[in-house]
Amino acid sequence: MIGMLICQIVLSIVLASIFLIRPSLTSAAGWKILAFIGLGVLPALCLVGGMNMHVQRSEQTRFCVSCHVMIPYGQSLYVDDPNHIPAQHFQNHRVPADTACHSCHADYTIYGPLNDKLQGLKRIYMQYVSTPPDPASIPIPGGFKNAQCLHCHLGARSFEENPVHAAVMDSLKSNQLSCLSSGCHDTAHDIANLSHEKFWKPVQ
Amino acid sequence: MKLSQIGIRRLLRISSALVIVGLVLEIVSLLWFHPLSFVLFAFIAATFIGLGILVYLVSLVFAVSPNAENRQ
Repeated sequence: MIGMLICQIVLSIVLASIFLIRPSLTSAAGWKILAFIGLGVLPALCLVGGMNMHVQRSEQTRFCVSCHVMIPYGQSLYVDDPNHIPAQHFQNHRVPADTACHSCHADYTIYGPLNDKLQGLKRIYMQYVSTPPDPASIPIPGGFKNAQCLHCHLGARSFEENPVHAAVMDSLKSNQLSCLSSGCHDTAHDIANLSHEKFWKPVQ
Repeated sequence: MKLSQIGIRRLLRISSALVIVGLVLEIVSLLWFHPLSFVLFAFIAATFIGLGILVYLVSLVFAVSPNAENRQ
């Protein structure tokens, strides 16, 4: 996919180079059309393709943990403890391992990908311009929403038939009671205590 | 050679140069796996490419204008 996009970009560069060296060629009708393709249509398609590629890439787990402050969060996915919700989801492939962060932290709304990208840009600003946050105290804007769990779990038999879930289902759906409430699934990442944890080593 | 033709060719050269710089930066951003690569793409490469397309469209306006004058 990225190879095809780069081929398209190289083709655009070749066409643009022709008109950089010999702009007089555009006096002929055929070259006019080629100029329209090389300087108008292809660069615009390259922009769309590039944006699509960057958005897809930013959904990858290794992209998220390539940011310095996110490294402990990446490590927390390997904690060998069944109570660690992100680790359990990641290790048992309840979410796709290569897009694990995105699966639980994506904004599943119509403008979700745009909001996620804006949040990402704010993090980059904090990292490189203002003060980088302490990894253990990075807040989720607006708090963690149950919709991010319910996106997959709602409708699942094991989830809906669980008597504890059934008793508080309305509160969960309306986000009045968080899935991460104390006594429920309250161990998520737990970066502050990561140094005391045992880690799972996947078989290569 | 008419002055407008010289102007169109200069605009085409500027447009081509902007598009080439933008596309080269886009390739760099695609090969660089880092959160800053999106910033490079969205704020620098896209600006160059967008400006290149804009300058090309302006050159089209220049190219059309003399014909319109000739018709009158």
